[in-house]
Formats: sequence, structure tokens, C-alpha cells
Amino acid sequence: MEHLYQIVYSAKNCYEEVVKEAIWQFQILPLENESQHIVKWSFQNSLHTPYHVSINGLGFITIRLHPKHCFSEIEFKFECELVKKELNPFDFLPNLEPQDDYGKIASLAFKADNEIYLRRTPLSSLPSVHQSIFIFDTSQSIFQNLRDLNHWVYNHLHFTVGVTDVTTPLKDIIEQRQGVCQDFTHLFCAIAKENGIPSRYVSGYIHQGNNYFGDLQMHAWAEALVPNVGWVGFDPTNDILVAQNHIKVCHGKDYNDCSPLRGVVYSNGANETEYFVQVQSSQLQQ
Amino acid sequence: MEKKKNPIIFSSYEPRKGLFDEVFNENGSAKSIYKTLFDLYGGHSVNDYEILNSKAKASFFNQGITFQVYNDEQAQEKIFPFDLFPRIIHPLEWEIIEKGAIQRSRALNLFLWDIYHDKKVIKDKVVPLDLLSSSENYLHQMMHLDPPGKIYNHISGTDIIKHADGQYYVLEDNIRCPSGVSYVICNRTALKRALFGVFNHYQAHTVTNYAENLLQILETVKPRGVDNPNCVVITPGRFNSAYYEHSYLAKAMGVELVEGQDLFVENDFVYMKTINGPERVDVVYRRIDDAFIDPLEFRPDSALGVPGLFAAYRKGNVCLANAPGTGVADDKAVYTYMPEIIKYYLDEEPILNNVHTYRCSRPDELKYVLENIDKLVIKPVDEAGGYGISIGNQLTKSEIEKVKVTIKEHPRKYIAQPILSLSVHPTYIEDMGSFEQRHVDLRTFTLLGKDRDFVLKGGLTRVALRKGNLIVNSSQGGGSKDTWVLKTE
Repeated sequence: MEHLYQIVYSAKNCYEEVVKEAIWQFQILPLENESQHIVKWSFQNSLHTPYHVSINGLGFITIRLHPKHCFSEIEFKFECELVKKELNPFDFLPNLEPQDDYGKIASLAFKADNEIYLRRTPLSSLPSVHQSIFIFDTSQSIFQNLRDLNHWVYNHLHFTVGVTDVTTPLKDIIEQRQGVCQDFTHLFCAIAKENGIPSRYVSGYIHQGNNYFGDLQMHAWAEALVPNVGWVGFDPTNDILVAQNHIKVCHGKDYNDCSPLRGVVYSNGANETEYFVQVQSSQLQQ
Repeated sequence: MEKKKNPIIFSSYEPRKGLFDEVFNENGSAKSIYKTLFDLYGGHSVNDYEILNSKAKASFFNQGITFQVYNDEQAQEKIFPFDLFPRIIHPLEWEIIEKGAIQRSRALNLFLWDIYHDKKVIKDKVVPLDLLSSSENYLHQMMHLDPPGKIYNHISGTDIIKHADGQYYVLEDNIRCPSGVSYVICNRTALKRALFGVFNHYQAHTVTNYAENLLQILETVKPRGVDNPNCVVITPGRFNSAYYEHSYLAKAMGVELVEGQDLFVENDFVYMKTINGPERVDVVYRRIDDAFIDPLEFRPDSALGVPGLFAAYRKGNVCLANAPGTGVADDKAVYTYMPEIIKYYLDEEPILNNVHTYRCSRPDELKYVLENIDKLVIKPVDEAGGYGISIGNQLTKSEIEKVKVTIKEHPRKYIAQPILSLSVHPTYIEDMGSFEQRHVDLRTFTLLGKDRDFVLKGGLTRVALRKGNLIVNSSQGGGSKDTWVLKTE
């Protein structure tokens, strides 16, 4: 079965003083892959500045805007129509001999090939006092352990908006036991890496229909590399495996690789930024 | 009294035992290669020499050849102290240095290609994976990206010393933004102005061809489809310690010197703002560190870089020299593996010696280091400019304890080497009014392009001006000498 999604990302930036020059780079365009296909998309801004499409250092498409005249207010609107195939997250053959998988992740070649997603970044490394907060049970498969971890993170943190921001250290998040989807994801990735599983931060959209957390904002979840299976998506904020409700934009080591908006603004004074996201869906007849 | 008024400048030169003097034999006579030079200099009275010396100094000031020292509260421009007595390198010795420097540059370039592609060197257990995963300079943005001409380290600065055994040893390979080459050229100019006559007695290779070779090397790595590449030098600006060099190189190559704000990126092409409108830029010799080159890709707070530069590079529309991510190999821990790296990629024996290095990341070697600090030099792996170095035999007991604690906290951050005895060279000490022995090293400059390489026949001989001091970096109060590589007779 296929779903048609309509995604709207809109943002408004207001500046106290006139901006002489600015460059923004959006990382909000969904990824094309075997389960996602973009039908059409558009990007508009209130200054009617033409945009350019580029590719960033990790290989994802970005939309870049460089207004050539002064302004103190700008609005952006991104709209996208996307077809998503229904996924069965259990659609693979689990390895009946978990020991083989643990042997594989311990091998030097595996560690070298996946160095990027095993690397501890400041946002995704466990503080030393919490190093053994969640230890894998090696009698179980890696996949089962990751599902348990997903559940554990979901229970450990309470979804609370406004307590943390993108610079809050993981130690505080673990101890306050509060956070938003970024924090759930960083904690999941940090623990998975600690247990030798390459894992990456995913930025994207979630369809809000089923009362999942993540409304009105971009969502974040994790992908972990399961030997002989590939990258499997886990959404610890909602305690589910990633399925047809998740629309992926990009992945990286942590939030810093995936932030939806990066920019250089030449202006003094304060600024106010607000953005919201809307995802609607309809089922397609096959 | 009469005699004291005009003493001969070498009369109070006291060779210390155990030091390798490059100019004098143990019996006090000048070595054959220096004989003529010694006779030419030795004839000067202190007064005459003082006059020459002050003229050379004024020439540096007038040319604006100054540098700035960081961590100095009264940060101000200083002239790089220059010594008029040149260092001479025999053609046969130079041949070894030159071959060795190219060998290292090539091996490092192959190493960089490998660690940004298949990582065979890791999988074959030649170099540990930890070297990459713990390095902040290992950029994932460079994975599977093919830099133009497959070149990463277009410009390398190799620091070499002559040890008490008379052999050359490499201290480190600088492949981020090595500086100092402008001083090589200015030293030659200053010496020619002050004592042009000495050049009639020696046939030294020119050093003024560096800039033209640099430009030619940069042109070999031009983007696809460009016939006459437009090269620029990008500088962090006039507050950078090496700003003089940036402006010198741009001028000598006949290209523009730009700051980040002079460039912009549109549709993944790089342009320079000129009064005649945008002008496309094809090759950027960048003297800005990786983290600052593009706020959209690396540090978002960088005001020095060009937004979108990396995406243009990734697309192959502009070449950056040196390539981003090259710094991962400019790491003192990678240095320790250089002999293995050379053998692995080139199947050759290293031409230049490495200094034996203890890696504090290895428990057995860490133990040795902690027990023998008084015999070792401790260096942080990722600092340049001589910062953070501790020399064991010059530390007090409490300082040693402090260093031990620091190393134990971050063993991966430190390496240790035996305290080397750098060779000494007679250097004029103003306060004493005479020549004294001072330790020297040599920075050589190697260029690597597509199917082309170049080693500057000469180099920066750096002098540790404080008596007994071993650290020669300009930021640590070092001076320099003109360096002559003699032509084969």
C-alpha cells in the first residue's frame, strides 16, 4: 500500500535591525530512496529571491538562498508531495546465531568501514559516569537488544518541551530525564555506539495522525546498523520502529550534521525565528 | 684597551663539548665548506658588524616583514630576528634531504587518499583505527571525495634537524598551512643587501623561484574544463600571525589576496567580487584552517570563510589547497608511523630518519614515559608552533608531577621523544657583541601537484636564540638564517 503525503515547512524570521546580507541553507527536502518518492516540491520566500539547490558534505540535497538586498523580515514556505511505500520493519530474516553478529561488529574491517557512525561526538557520547547505563545482553540478537534499548530510552526520558536545547549535554538529559526527540535520539545513538553498534541521527518528518510525539516540528529518530540486515530505523521518542509514518530527510553523526537550517546573517540586534511543520496524508489506491 | 675596542667577532666563540657544531671542527678550525665564509666574516670588527646587523634589521622593518605572537598580552608586530651568518648545505647532503622530503610528501598523500577511501592501511593493521577516530581533523565530508589530481597535501613543510651523530632526522611534517617560506626569500634578499660580496665566493641555488613553482603546482590541480585557472590566496586577515606571508605569496605569484568576504558562491561556483563584476575563481590557496573555511559546512560561527565553498569544492568546481581534512595526517601520532606508512605505500625504505617516538596511548610506552620524563620531550599531538611542549630535563620536580597528571588524563594527546641534541651554528648575539653557539633546525618546503613536484632548494633555518633553548619556533622567540644549498661543482 502507498501513502501520499503533503508536507509543509514554513518559517518566519524577524530582525530588529536591517539585514544587509544573509545566506541560508535548508536541509528539509525529503530523501529519495526505495520507499520514498518525491512527486513535486516548491520553495518560496517573501523576498522572491531565487534559490539554488546544492549538495552538502554528507551528500544530502540542500536549498540555498542568498538575498541581494536589505530586509528586516523574511518568510519561507516549502511544500512537498511525496509517495511513501508501506514498510514492514520486520521484513528481514533475523540471524539465528547472534554470536556471529557480535563477532562481526567486533572485527576491525567493520569498525573501520563504519568509523563515522561509531565516533563519539559531544552530543552523542555517554558521559563516563553513565558508561554502563544500558549493557547489551549478548545472548540475544543485536536487533532484539536495539528494540529493548528503544523501549528503555522511551521509558527513561519524558517528552517535555522547553527543558533542553540543542546544546544541552547528554549528562544533564540523562539526569533530568526530560527532553525532546533530539535528546531521545542522541541518547539512543550514544548507548548503541557504546555497545559497538554504528548508529546515526536521522532528521525528518512524522505524520502526526496517530498521536505520536513530534507534531509541528521536524522530527528526529535513529538508525542503527544491524549486521546482515542493514540500517534499521528506531524512533525512541515514540517507542516504535520506523515505518510509513516517518519521512526521512537526512542522517548524520548527530543534530549538528542535520540541522534543518544553517545560515550566516549579517545584522546586529536580536532576531525572532519561528517555524512550523505540517504533514497530511491520504491513502493511495493501488 | 685598543684591542678591546675592536675585537674580532669570533674571538670569544666557545664551542661546548658534546654539541654538533656545523661550522667548526673539534680542534677549532672551520670546516672546509665554511672556510672561505669564515675568513670573509672573521675580518669584520664588532663595530662594523653591528652596523651591518642594524641595517639588515631596518630592512626587515621597512619591508613590513613582521609577525605576531599569540598568548602575548601586548600582542604586537615583531620582526623575526635575522642572523647574517648563513648556513651552508652541501649538495650531496641536500640530495638526500630533497629525495626524503618528496618521499614523505608522496607517502602522506597516498595515506590521505587511502583513509578517505578504502582505509586499507587500517584494515591491514599498519596504522591503528584509533588514529582516525580520535582525530578532530578527520573530516567525514571528505570520505570518497576525489580531490583534483588526487592531491591532498599540495604544500608541505618538513622540519628536519641534524643530530649530534651528524645525521638528519625529521621532527614533523606540517601539512595544514605551513608557513615560513616568505622568510626564506626575505632572508636571502636581506643578506644580499647587507653582504652581497659573499655571494661571489659561493654558488648557492636561488630561492626566489618558489612562488612561480607554487603557482604552477596550483595550476596542475585546476578544475575540469578550465583552461587558464584563476588562483587566489585566501587569508584570515591582517591580524593573522602569517599575514605578511599571505600577502607576499599573492604578490609574488601575481594573484589576488582575498578575505572570505571578497568571495561568494553561487550555483556551486566560486566568484570574487571585483569592480568589474564577479570573476570566477578556480583554485584557492587557503591559509584558513578547515574549521573556518565554510560556515555552512563546518563551524557555523566562522566569519573568515566563504559560505558554500565546500559544496563548490565537492562538486569539483574549485580546488582547495591544501585539501580539507589533510590535517589528520599532520598529527604527531601519525608521524610516529611514518616509516611504516612509507614502506606500505611506496615499498621503499624511508630516506630520512624518524625520531624514535613513544606513544602515550600505548600502556607499555606510557609507563616508560612516566618513569623517564626527565630524559624526554613531551609534545601534544595536535598543537603547532611549539605550544605545550615540555622538555623533561628543564622541569622542576613539581612541574614533572603536573606533566604526569596531564598525560595520564589524556594519553592519546601526547607523545614523547628522546631529548635530541640539535646541531649548533654560530649566531651573532647582540648583547654579547660576539658569535655564540645556538641550536638550529631546518624547515623545507615541498610542493606536490598532478604529475609534478618541487622542493625549494633552501629552507628556513630557525635558530633558538635563548642560550641552551631547543625550541626554534618563531612564536617561541626563535630567529632565522639564510640557508644556502650549494650547486654541484
